[in-house]
Amino acid sequence: MASRSEIVLASLLLFLSCLAETSDANGVVLFSSLPNTLEMIVSPHKPEQVMKPAEGSWTFGGTLKAGEDKLSISWRLNQSFSAGTTDSGYKTIKVKLCYAPVSQVDRGWRKTVDNLAKDKTCQFKIETRPYKHVCDSFYTQCTHRLVLPCGLEGGSASKWKYIDWTIKRDVPSASYFVRAYAYDGAGVAVAYGQSTGPKKNYNIFEVQGITGRHKTLDVVSICFSAFSVLSLVGFFVVEKTRAKPT
Amino acid sequence: MEFQSESPKFALTVDSDHKATEFKIFSIAKPHMRAFHLAWFSYFSCFLTTFAAAPLLPVIRDNLNLTTTDIGNAGIASVSGAVFARIAMGTLSDLFGPRLASASLLLLTAPAVFLFSMASSPISFLLLRFCVGISLANFVPTMFWMSSMFSPPVVGTANGFAGGWGNFGGGATQLIMPLVFGLIQHNVGAAKFTAWRIAFQIPAVFQVLSAFAILLFGQDMPDGNFHRLEKSGDKPKDKFSTVFWHGVKNYRGWILALTYGYCFGVELTVDNIIAEYFYDRFNLKLHTAGIIAATFGLANIVSRPTGGVLSDLMARRFGMRGRLWTLWVLQTLGGVFCVILGRVGSLKASIGVMVLFSLCCQSACGLTYGVVPFVSRRSLGVISGMTGGGGSLGAVLTQLIFFKGTKYSKETGITLMGVMIMCCTLPMTLIHFPQWGGMLSGPSSINTATEEEYYMSEWTSVEKEKGFHCASVKFAENSRSERGKSDSLTRTSDEVSPTVHV
Repeated sequence: MASRSEIVLASLLLFLSCLAETSDANGVVLFSSLPNTLEMIVSPHKPEQVMKPAEGSWTFGGTLKAGEDKLSISWRLNQSFSAGTTDSGYKTIKVKLCYAPVSQVDRGWRKTVDNLAKDKTCQFKIETRPYKHVCDSFYTQCTHRLVLPCGLEGGSASKWKYIDWTIKRDVPSASYFVRAYAYDGAGVAVAYGQSTGPKKNYNIFEVQGITGRHKTLDVVSICFSAFSVLSLVGFFVVEKTRAKPT
Repeated sequence: MEFQSESPKFALTVDSDHKATEFKIFSIAKPHMRAFHLAWFSYFSCFLTTFAAAPLLPVIRDNLNLTTTDIGNAGIASVSGAVFARIAMGTLSDLFGPRLASASLLLLTAPAVFLFSMASSPISFLLLRFCVGISLANFVPTMFWMSSMFSPPVVGTANGFAGGWGNFGGGATQLIMPLVFGLIQHNVGAAKFTAWRIAFQIPAVFQVLSAFAILLFGQDMPDGNFHRLEKSGDKPKDKFSTVFWHGVKNYRGWILALTYGYCFGVELTVDNIIAEYFYDRFNLKLHTAGIIAATFGLANIVSRPTGGVLSDLMARRFGMRGRLWTLWVLQTLGGVFCVILGRVGSLKASIGVMVLFSLCCQSACGLTYGVVPFVSRRSLGVISGMTGGGGSLGAVLTQLIFFKGTKYSKETGITLMGVMIMCCTLPMTLIHFPQWGGMLSGPSSINTATEEEYYMSEWTSVEKEKGFHCASVKFAENSRSERGKSDSLTRTSDEVSPTVHV
C-alpha cells in the first residue's frame, strides 16, 4: 500500500506531465506528414502589380507596401480530391503569411522546422475561419482577380473561398508566400495548401515594410545630439573664462 | 606623522593625500562619496546605452532586415570601440583629470544613441553600435577617480562598488528597455518599428544628464580639480609621452590586461550569447531566456563589490600577495565553472552553475582593480586604461574565436572559453612587486626594495628636484599597508609607519 507521500509525489508528477502535454496544444505534428490538399492563389489588387512571364503562370512584379496594399487570397480543396470525404475532418482554416526561403537565410528566428509547434516559417496570421463544405455565393469586386464565382464549376466540387487582406503595418520587408492550414475539431493540423510549390521558388512576392522613421523624430534626435556636443563646448568656454582672472 | 586642523574639511577620515580611508556607501558627502555616486551612475548609464539594443533585437532585426551575421558583427563592434578608447581615456585622465575626461566622453557618445532613431540598414546599425560602445571606455576615468579619492586600504572596495554598480546596467537594460518600449507602444500608440527608435532617446538623455552632474558637482581630487591645482602649483602638469611611456613599460600592466580580458572580457561575451544559449539548448521562451540573461548582468551589483571588499580584506592580513592569490584563485575557479556550464545538460543545474560562474568571474573583475591602483602612481590612468582595454579586447577575441559562425556549438564554445580562462590566468603568477612580493615569492631582500623606491623610479632626478614627485611620495607611504600584518613586523629596513589619519 503506497504511503501518503508517495501518492502526493505521483499525483504531482502526473500533474506536471499533463502540463507538459497541454503546453503544446497541437501535439507533435510534423509538416511533412500533412497532405497538400488545398489549392491556393494569391494576387495583388493593383493591376500593375501582376505580371505574366509565361503562359499559364503569373507572378508579382514590384513590391507591396505594408499598411497600404492589399492581397486577394483564395483557396479551395484541390479538385483531384473528392469533396466530402477528404475534407470531412476539416473544421477550421487558418491562413498565414510565411517567409520565403530567401528571407530565411542566416536568420535563425525564421527557421523552417518539421515539428509544427517549433516551426517559425509562418509568423503572421491573416485569417481564421470555419471550413465550409457548402458553396458560398458572393460578389467579386475586382474583375482581374482570379476567383471563380459560385456555380461556374460543375458538380459537387468545392468552391473557392477568398479574403481581401490589407498587409499589416508591422510586416517587415521580406519575401513571402501564403499558406493555409486545415485543423480538425481537436485543433490538430491535418492538411495544408500554399500559394507556391514544394520548393517555394515561384509566386513569391515581396513586401516593403514601413521604415518606422519619422521626420519629427529625426529632427528631435538631431537637436538633442547637437545640444549634447554644444553643451560640452560651452562648458569648456565657461571654464576657460572663469580661470582667466586668477 | 600627524597633520592637524585640516580635518574639518572632510566628512570622512583621510590619509596624508586626503584620500578617504573609509567607504560610507549611503553618504553623498563632498568630495569622496559624491564622486563615488557620480562615477557609478555615469558608468551605469553607459552600460544602459551600449546594451540597449540587445533586448529590442527581435524588433530591430525585422525593421532593419538584419541577418544573424549582421547581429553578430554589431555585437562585436559594440565592444570593440572601447579597446583603444580605454587606453586613450587612461592617458586623458592622467593629463586632464577624470572629471573632464568622463564628461567629454559621455557628451560626445550620446549623439550616437540619439541617432539610432535614423538607423536604416545593417551598416548604419553596426556603425551606431560601434560608436555607442566607445562610451564603455568611461570605465577608466571611473576607476581613476575612485583610486584618486580613496586610500589603499579601501581602494579595492571603492573600485569594486563603482565598477559593479556600473556593470549592473548591462543587466538592468534587459529589463528597462522592453518596459520603456512597451509603454511607448501603448501610451503613444506608435507602431513597433517607431516605438523602439523613440525608446532609445531615454537612456541617451540619462547619459547627458549624468555628464552634467559630473561637471557641476564633481571634482577630480580631494583637494580640487586638476586645472586649478595645476595653476596654483599644487600639482605639476605632466607630459603625455612620459606618462604613456611609464605605463607601457611596466610589464605588470600587460599581464593584468591579459588576465582582465579573461574575467571582464568573458563577462561581456556571456552577456551577448547567454540568452540565445538558454533559448536554443533548453527550448525556453525568449522572454524567460532574456530574464536568465539579465540575471547574469544583475549579479554584478553584489559580486563585483564582493571582489573589491575581499581584495581589501586579504590585503589587511596578507598584503599585496593576498590580493594576487585571491584574484588568481577566484578567476581560475570561474574558468572551472565555465567548463562545467558547457557540459551540464539540465536547466536547473545550468542556472546554478551560471550563478556560481558569474560570482567568480565578476568578483575577479573587482579583485583585479584591487591590484591595478598599485602598479603605477604616475601613470595610474594609462595602467587602468591598458587593463580596461585588455578587458574589451578579450571580449572581442573570445566572441570571434568561439562564437562566430557555426564552427563550435555554443556549449562547446563555452567549455573551451573556460579552458582559455584558466590558461590566461596563469601569467598572474609572474607579477612581482619588489617591495611586496608576488604569488610565488616574497619581497626582494635587497635594501632598495621599498615602496618609495618603486614609485620614485618613475621620476627622473631633474623632475624630483622640481618636486614633481610629491604625490608619489605620499602614495608610497600610504601603500605600506600592502605589506600585510605579519610582514610589517618582520621587515627591519624601515620604521613602522601605519596609515595616517587626519
